[in-house]
This record gives sequence, structure tokens and C-alpha cells, in this order.
Amino acid sequence: MSLLEVENLRVTFATEAGPVEAVRGVSFRLDRERLGIVGESGSGKTMTGRSVLRLIRPPGRIEADRMAFGGVDLMRISEREMRALRGRRIAMVMQDPKFSLNPVMRVGAQLTEGLRLRDGMSAREARAKALEALEAVQIRDPERVLDAYPHELSGGMGQRVMIAMMLIPEPDLLIADEPTSALDVTVQAEVLRILDALVRERGMGLMFISHDLNLVARFCDRVLVMYRGRIVEEIEAQRLSQATHPYTQGLLGCLPKIGGARGPLPTLARDAAWSE
Amino acid sequence: MALIEIDDLHVTFEAKGRPVHAVRGVSLAVEVRESYGLVGESGSGKSTILRAICGMAPVTGGAIRIDGRALAPRRDRGFARRVQMVFQDPYASLHPRHTVDRTLGEPLAIHGLARGAERGRRIVQALADVGLDAAFRFRFPHQLSGGQRQRVAIARALMLEPEILLLDEPTSALDASVQAEALNLLSRLRAERGLTFLMVSHDLAVIDHMCDRLTVMKEGRAVENLDHAQLARHDMKASYTRELFAATTERIAAAE
Repeated sequence: MSLLEVENLRVTFATEAGPVEAVRGVSFRLDRERLGIVGESGSGKTMTGRSVLRLIRPPGRIEADRMAFGGVDLMRISEREMRALRGRRIAMVMQDPKFSLNPVMRVGAQLTEGLRLRDGMSAREARAKALEALEAVQIRDPERVLDAYPHELSGGMGQRVMIAMMLIPEPDLLIADEPTSALDVTVQAEVLRILDALVRERGMGLMFISHDLNLVARFCDRVLVMYRGRIVEEIEAQRLSQATHPYTQGLLGCLPKIGGARGPLPTLARDAAWSE
Repeated sequence: MALIEIDDLHVTFEAKGRPVHAVRGVSLAVEVRESYGLVGESGSGKSTILRAICGMAPVTGGAIRIDGRALAPRRDRGFARRVQMVFQDPYASLHPRHTVDRTLGEPLAIHGLARGAERGRRIVQALADVGLDAAFRFRFPHQLSGGQRQRVAIARALMLEPEILLLDEPTSALDASVQAEALNLLSRLRAERGLTFLMVSHDLAVIDHMCDRLTVMKEGRAVENLDHAQLARHDMKASYTRELFAATTERIAAAE
């Protein structure tokens, strides 16, 4: 049995112009590995990630033949049972720390809130645990960061705080939605190293959602390529250069390369058949 | 003589009563019809240089000259005719409640250039130049995709037929396939109209593809000046440039 099993997942939004299908029959399994989900905006990758946590608000609707996490049927359990899984066993890191941290609360208060409310820890215990979590994501001066407000942190620092916060309950599955896209390239590498170590050392499963094919190829074990709500190709990350689907090939080809030819970049000729 | 000359430029902002020295003595010269790149990470001061040229940042030292003439403290209409800017985020840079027609017509109205049928003709032509059908003319920004919006933003910048385009991360909000189309569009327009580009990006590969020469920036200073050939030969001196180069190529190499 896999850690996460998804069969025929569909996400539909009711709009004035009729139903819009954001995810159209996606199936995959995830074990204690790094699974990349790549696609451009509107491909349904974020919706797929959010569906696992049932974080899609009406008018959006989630349907699936099966969606099981550690044997628990996520489609059947109550909202209350779902809340018990969120954060504790399945956690999510969003793209931009600027929008996911509370701007008027000190970092320390945000990091310890869950520990105190959910786990009933004392203020001192919670603070010690928070310091430990910040050290785990290689923040050099954790005491200072605990007392800081989010706007006093750089982007890379804020993103590490987010990761630390998600990892405190030691989840089995981490869904990371573009966790490094708002960061500079030199900082990106550091955040990825931290995530990588967590997968290796804790045996966590990681769903890594990104628009950046090259990044995913370097960092993940396996890659699902999404286009218009469907998986068009599944491939081992190391073999991405041998991708067979024209969409995957097109995405790889249209990026400028240092020292590459200066003529027009190849563009993607979209084929209606890809979304069939 | 260079078309754009920047000489020992300093920009200092006031933030919470403290001075923030965003640009610290940067000099560069962009020749006529050249495409020049500024590359660096967030906070390096690269966008601030473009904003300083447009009079949108407090210059506290040094000089900016266009065609050998120092810019007046307040940029006038003549400046707008010669220099235009394309911003990073097409969601924020187009007025959400103005149609494409109104957005593109505004520069013409301000400069008293065209009215009536001539105005309409120029707007349709501007849309065609950036690869958009005339059907887009009466749409609002929210009815367009990110790539289409950025095309409108480029069309707007070209309405006054400027010589110089300042491009501030023009494709970083776009998907890879849309980025390729937008970069191709910019290259074509530059060739057709003999434009001079000063382009800012955090992506060294984009700058390498688009620019003849570039300046690498870090913390408000110019770390190194390179040309396209030097970059292709990995002939760089500053360790920061190497670091940036390695981080960029490592990402690309992984897929090959």
C-alpha cells in the first residue's frame, strides 16, 4: 500500500458559464519519495495538491474514485477527522511567505501556536521545540527570528520559517506548492537542500509542485507532467531529457540557455489532442 | 557617443527615517541600438536604476544622460517620446477598469498625436505589431491571459514610437512557453524598429539570450561588466558572477 493513492481525481468549479473542470481524471501514487508535479499556470497542479487536503472551497467540488492516505479514505472521512490529519500528518508549504505568515504576529507566536493549542505544551516547552525546528532549517540566529515580525525577514528566511512551521508536527506527507519560486537562485538551492534532507532523514513523502521543469528534474525522483487538468506524461526525473510527450519536450525546448543560439526561441505549438 | 550614459549613480531612499542606499555608484553606457542587460538578485538595485532613469527614484548623486544631455530634474513629454518602460507584472501595470483601447489611446491623447479614425487605426496597428488580433481592442485586462496582457503592455510602451525601451523583468511573471513568445516578440520589434534596450532580469539565461553586454549587480553595486562572448567562454572574474552562473547552469544542465 502506498502512502497516498489517488484514482481518477476530478475538481470541478460551477461557474455562470457552466462547470469548469480544473482537474480531469488524475491518478497517481506517492510513497516516501520526492514526486514532482509540473505544469504551467492553469494545468491543475495546485488544485491537485489542495485536493489531497480537501482545501477546495465551494463552488469547487472534489470527486475521486479513490483518494487514500495511509489507508484512510480521504473522500469519506468527516471534516473533523480531516482537520485532525491536516498539519499533523499532511502539511502544506505555499509559494510566498509574504502571504502565508501572519504579518502582525511575531514568528515565535506563530510557530508555537499549534504546539500550545493542539499539543497542550507549556510556553517554555513550545519555545524550545520552535527553536529546534528553526535550527533544523538552518537558521543561524533562531532566537532573533523567533522575536521578529515576518516583514523583518528576507524571503528565503521567511520560507524557511514556513517550512519549519510545517515540520514541527513531523508530518508523513509534505505538499510543497512552488516553495522556492519566490526566492533568488542562490537561496533556492539552500531551501531545496533542507527539503531533501527531511525526505532522506525522516522518510517523509514529498509532493513538489512547480512550473520549473529543470528544477524538478534535478530535485525529484519521479515527475508527473500536467496539461489542462490531465497527466500527459509520467517519467523518472533523471530521464526527463528523453521525455516523449511533445508538451514536455516543448517545455524543455523553449527555455533560453546560457551560450545558446541567439535566434528566436522555439515556441510551443499546442495540440488540441493533448487535452483529450 | 553612447545613447544612455549613467555616471556614478547613487539612489538613496528614506525608509522608516533611515536612509537606504539602493544604488551605490553604478556607471554604464548603452550604445545606440544595443541591448544591455542588468542582472542580479532581489534587492540588488537593478530595477531602481531603470526607475531612476524615468525619474521614479530619488537620485542622490551622479548623472544620467540621454544622447549626451543630462536629464531635467522632472522628466518632460519629450522624454516620454524617446524613453518608455515595460514593467514586470502585467496584472499591476495595466489599469483594471480601462479597456485595451483606452490604455493604448491614452499616450496618443496626452501627446495630442491622433484622434478619430487615425487613433483607431494606430491602436489596431499597435495590436497587430505585438501579435494580437483587433478583437482584443475592447477587452478589459481581466479578460486577457498573462502573456496577452504583457503584449498589451509592450504595445502601450511602443505607442509613442520611442527609441529606448526600459524592460523591468518583462517575462518573469510568465510561463516558460509564453516567455519564449514574449522574448521573440521583443527581439523582432528591436530588429524592426532599431530600438535600444536596457533590460533587467534575475535570470542570467534570459539576459544572455537577449543582451549584447551586461552588468552583474549585487547590493547596489556593479560587480562585473561582461559581454556575450565572455559569458559564453565562462570568462568571468568576480566570484559572485560565478556563483550566479553556476546556480543558473546547474538548473539547466540537470535536464540534459
